[in-house]
Amino acid sequence: MIRFEHVDFSYGTSELMKDISFTINKGDFVAIVGANGAGKSTASKLCNGLLKPDKGDVFVKGMNTKTTKSSKLARFIGYLFQNPDRQICQTTIYNEIMFGLNYTIEDPSKRKAKCEAVLENFGFDGSKDPFNISRGERQRVALASILACEPEILILDEPTTGLDYRECMQIMDIIADLNQKGTTILMITHDMEIVQDFAKRVLVLTNGRLIGDGDCREIMTNRELLASTSVLPAQIPILSLMLGDDFQNVFSVEDMLERIEILIKKGGNN
Amino acid sequence: MSGFLDYVPGNSFLHKLNPLTKLILAFLLCVSCFISENHFFVIGIILLNLIMAASAGVFKRSVKMLKALIKFSLLLFVVQILFVRDGNVLLSLPLGIVITDLGLSFSLLFVLRLFAATMPLALMLSVTQMSDLSNVLVSKVGIPYKYTFVLTTAIRFIPLFSQEMSGIMEAQIARGVEFDTKNFFKKIKLLLPLCVPLLISSVKKIDEGAISAELRGFNLRQKNSGYKAYNFSGLDFCALLLMAASISCALFI
Repeated sequence: MIRFEHVDFSYGTSELMKDISFTINKGDFVAIVGANGAGKSTASKLCNGLLKPDKGDVFVKGMNTKTTKSSKLARFIGYLFQNPDRQICQTTIYNEIMFGLNYTIEDPSKRKAKCEAVLENFGFDGSKDPFNISRGERQRVALASILACEPEILILDEPTTGLDYRECMQIMDIIADLNQKGTTILMITHDMEIVQDFAKRVLVLTNGRLIGDGDCREIMTNRELLASTSVLPAQIPILSLMLGDDFQNVFSVEDMLERIEILIKKGGNN
Repeated sequence: MSGFLDYVPGNSFLHKLNPLTKLILAFLLCVSCFISENHFFVIGIILLNLIMAASAGVFKRSVKMLKALIKFSLLLFVVQILFVRDGNVLLSLPLGIVITDLGLSFSLLFVLRLFAATMPLALMLSVTQMSDLSNVLVSKVGIPYKYTFVLTTAIRFIPLFSQEMSGIMEAQIARGVEFDTKNFFKKIKLLLPLCVPLLISSVKKIDEGAISAELRGFNLRQKNSGYKAYNFSGLDFCALLLMAASISCALFI
């Protein structure tokens, strides 16, 4: 679905991406992690053509982003920004959801039906002003207006920043459900609990370089890799790293219980 | 990301001038190009601006700003040339539209003035820290701090709003809005709905800024609260003499 081929990108004199290559396949749930300034948002904006690579190429569904308009790529790629206020531009939730549909569905009756289905699905009152609801609700409105267009790829730039646990889970459950149904997800986040719970694959960026690409367990339990970045893993991998070699590759609560059981048995035998 | 009004540190002649002198210099340069009816004099002012920009290390930025003005000035040029009907007719067009020598001369002078008058203020802001500008307006001119703060904050917010607008446009492009179209009029039409998020974010930013300033004792500030002295030096007098010469030239050429 998305292919980076030796991509370099710089802004002014700062080199934000250096020789990045990776492929994201259909149905993947990929998390991009790294410290602030590592190039995560740059990578995501390169995916939908908002930024064009200086060297190398980015392909989305076989289309080169250098030669394809971002507005055309938007038919396949939904992008949820960290700040929903930049996205919301209508005075009612109904109009906000219709806004994206106006560009993707030509038939007005189908458009209206789709909008009403989305409103019902998310439990929104369409007549409400999106600027008069909570931050979490606004994030859900922004997500709903993107999902109404049924993108094949969904890019999420820190979707849970500023949300409480309940709001965060509401958003992530919708995203996990979409991924189950075949939508490709690319998520940028600093929340490693979210990464561990939802992502299948993790890309690690540091200073514009891709230093890790593997499944979530592999990355989260890689001591050397984690030591070289400013990424703090989720609680269980941290605990396992602290407990030493006996707890190597412990990734989840289930893993931890299993390992403790093995160690107790081993202790009993000795 | 640096905006076109951001302060550029340096040690040039312009940097060393008193902020008030820089403000007067910019104002008099603008006035002189509106006094003069001579095209070459206005071109001279543009060149003087570019030389000053180069000496202050902001030449590229000034040229970039001039380039940004080209489209707008072309539009103004066309409008002016079509509406001035005095003088000898150079070209007759359908629908009774005529292009005259006076119209051509006036339109050209108008565009040159636009270039010449826009640069000094931007140049002055590039070489002056906003805090120095507001302090000098309080201590030397006697304007209450509240008003100078409003002025400097408004200037400071221009690049911020520009960045915010770029972010909003990016968000809308990502939703399929064709801002990447080359059709200028289509772009303008698409820009209108974006006024809502920009307005909302601006009001929020200003409101937060006002609360933050009040919490840090904004209202306690008085005329003598600033600790910096802004004395005039020989350089300032040289700059003012230069400006006096420029105004005289504008009056007599």
